[in-house]
Amino acid sequence: MSAPFGRSTRCLSARSPVGLLSQLRRNHPVRCPLGERRLSQARPGGQRGPLEGLTVLDLTRVLAGPFATMILGDLGAQVIKVERPGAGDDTRTWGPPFVGAESAYFLSVNRNKKSISVDLKHPRGVGVIQEVPVSRGHTLMSGYGQTGPRAQSPGYDSIASAVSGMMHITGSEDGEPVRPGVAMTDLATGLYAHGAVMAALLQRHKTGRGVHIDCNLLSSQVSCLTHIAANYLNGGQEARRWGTAHESIVPYQGFSTKDGHLVVAAATDQQFVRVCNVLKLNELTNKPEYKSNKLRVQNRRELLHTLSQRFLQEKTADWLREFEGSGVPVGPINNIQEVFSDPQVKHNGLIQEMEHPTAGQITVPGPAVRFSSFAHDKATPPPLIGQHTVQVLRHTLSYSDDVINALLESKAVTQNEVS
Amino acid sequence: MSVGREAAVASAARRPAWTTRGPHSVGLDESSGGALCHHDPGGPGSPGYQGRATRTWGPPFVGAESAYFLSVNRNKKSISVDLKHPRGVGVIQELAAVCDVLVENFLPGKLPRLGLGYEQLCAVNPGLVYCSISGYGQTGPRAQSPGYDSIASAVSGMMHITGSEDGEPVRPGVAMTDLATGLYAHGAVMAALLQRHKTGRGVHIDCNLLSSQVSCLTHIAANYLNGGQEARRWGTAHESIVPYQGFSTKDGHLVVAAATDQQFVRVCNVLKLNELTNKPEYKSNKLRVQNRRELLHTLSQRFLQEKTADWLREFEGSGVPVGPINNIQEVFSDPQVKHNGLIQEMEHPTAGQITVPGPAVRFSSFAHDKATPPPLIGQHTVQVLRHTLSYSDDVINALLESKAVTQNEVS
Repeated sequence: MSAPFGRSTRCLSARSPVGLLSQLRRNHPVRCPLGERRLSQARPGGQRGPLEGLTVLDLTRVLAGPFATMILGDLGAQVIKVERPGAGDDTRTWGPPFVGAESAYFLSVNRNKKSISVDLKHPRGVGVIQEVPVSRGHTLMSGYGQTGPRAQSPGYDSIASAVSGMMHITGSEDGEPVRPGVAMTDLATGLYAHGAVMAALLQRHKTGRGVHIDCNLLSSQVSCLTHIAANYLNGGQEARRWGTAHESIVPYQGFSTKDGHLVVAAATDQQFVRVCNVLKLNELTNKPEYKSNKLRVQNRRELLHTLSQRFLQEKTADWLREFEGSGVPVGPINNIQEVFSDPQVKHNGLIQEMEHPTAGQITVPGPAVRFSSFAHDKATPPPLIGQHTVQVLRHTLSYSDDVINALLESKAVTQNEVS
Repeated sequence: MSVGREAAVASAARRPAWTTRGPHSVGLDESSGGALCHHDPGGPGSPGYQGRATRTWGPPFVGAESAYFLSVNRNKKSISVDLKHPRGVGVIQELAAVCDVLVENFLPGKLPRLGLGYEQLCAVNPGLVYCSISGYGQTGPRAQSPGYDSIASAVSGMMHITGSEDGEPVRPGVAMTDLATGLYAHGAVMAALLQRHKTGRGVHIDCNLLSSQVSCLTHIAANYLNGGQEARRWGTAHESIVPYQGFSTKDGHLVVAAATDQQFVRVCNVLKLNELTNKPEYKSNKLRVQNRRELLHTLSQRFLQEKTADWLREFEGSGVPVGPINNIQEVFSDPQVKHNGLIQEMEHPTAGQITVPGPAVRFSSFAHDKATPPPLIGQHTVQVLRHTLSYSDDVINALLESKAVTQNEVS
């Protein structure tokens, strides 16, 4: 879920890359310390993230914006997170659960950032922000867009998910609309934004100029409707809810087992035959009404009823074992504990542990994308509020100690006792 | 917003990027202005057949084109190459030598066996950005499992957390795991291109459905990893804010996001249920969460009494965020959706006028006014061989005759 963005919330991309040439190491395997996820043989890349040397000024809060800037930080950019004194980012208080004084929510989307605490209502506070060289352009994230009839509506994932059609298409076949269990509209917007920022940086290499970027929840989710949208726009076909099932492929859905759920994706006739083999329901393969996918779709109710009854008779783990080697794609519907016990999840480095200055050891979901040229081994923990105010003023803006002290005294900025 | 006239051309656009499959990430790259070639493989049984299969995924069709294929394949050229034919592989190797970016979603190991793996191609083109998209990753115990959004959504926990409170798990109504992966990939490709400016070298990128969706679990994951708190389904509701969910109305549904005490009071005002604001058990959000069943029952009954449009009107100016649960027709009738350019019309050479959801992101430096329609299969084979690889007509004809490549009758 998200809180309102409003017009004043920005993620600014700034600064030209510092012109360092990375030291290229040859023929050295890139190893991910958190797992054994090694990608190709070594390619010289100097272990530097692709965005090393770039600075991002981050004025976003809650989910979509912080998610985007976190990914930029994962890729090596320096992210300066500007927070209002006192509470800072709303999500710092969103719990339980807390780890020490830090909410798990805040920890999950704020690694690799520095926090400066600046009062934007104070003229000297605004002055500090203006001095960071961001004339290269900026990315504005909002609920609905920078202009238009809804531009003034604050952006909430829940509402954008409703307005954009996402809720209408999610839920059980005969049930009410629901929303995706995590704020995918917010996250898709963050993902669009992180890419857009880099596209703008690529362009800047050629033109020397920055651009303004408009990302919003509504557009992100509507674009993501893809074929659902095209079905309507071209065929006038309204969408509906399908639970875990697929409108045009049978059997392609979840089934309850004795102790959980399993998803089967049998998209071809051969795969359907194998499903029947594994289920020991071979008689189904002889029924003319199930011979082709088209027929199975037409006669879905009866077929799915038969399959459902059979799946209920055994446990998920037993079914998974019986399906091994069958060529039929299957998988369990994992709860969160099961997700993080999965060996592939561990292998992919998706359990990222870090030391936090006050909370101690924290664990967050790791970066999704791996590059052969560097390892994600330089991650820094999510910052305390205002942890890096003085550091940034000193090193990024080259302020003298006198100027820094004056700003601190005026309360235009604040510094955490931990730095 | 005002949009500048000059085109934004990402540096990848100087030379075309080539791809097999991976339609979602390719769809995004093109929106930044890169010229991309989409490789349509040779047919059933050949590698990447799935990619071609979406051309047949319908109804609905527009002419002979499936709406599914049209929705994610604009701004691409299509060349038709048989990867089982050695000369076909040769064409791809030569293209990779002159391209910026290669995006693929074969099972790990398949392309290297054909001589088209990262190791082999970057030996010829050290600057190549090679983005692999798979179900579970390039290595590891599940690397050989084919990637299906449905299964990845299940394995990654997404289904477990989606559905009504007392109902079964469901999946998001569109393949958000697939799409999130495509979005991660498009960003990763551009990060790699940025790095190439400094180092001159390309990179191999590993994107996969499992990692994308697990990373997107964000706070749901952190709640478990740090607090041992298992997640559950909440329908449209929120675990820790009340009222913050959908309500059925007389003729549809409405979502209300009342996150503060003042907003709760305004909800009661609009609903003419002012007595609720005096009840001690609803005074704070924490209390409303504790007493949610009763409160939500009362609110639900009231919302049922009027139509969605009437409620929306009554909530205007109240400061409470609300919105209708739109079906797809309602989405594309929404004035903001139209304003944002999300209804993109194009002329297709055989299907005539087609309409697809437009690009999500707008830049001040260019307009999305040069979009080309999704290609017919092999529509640009000769064009690409001639202009990108500078093949002579003799060489092109020989390739066509050998069936290593095919050309659509429309070009």
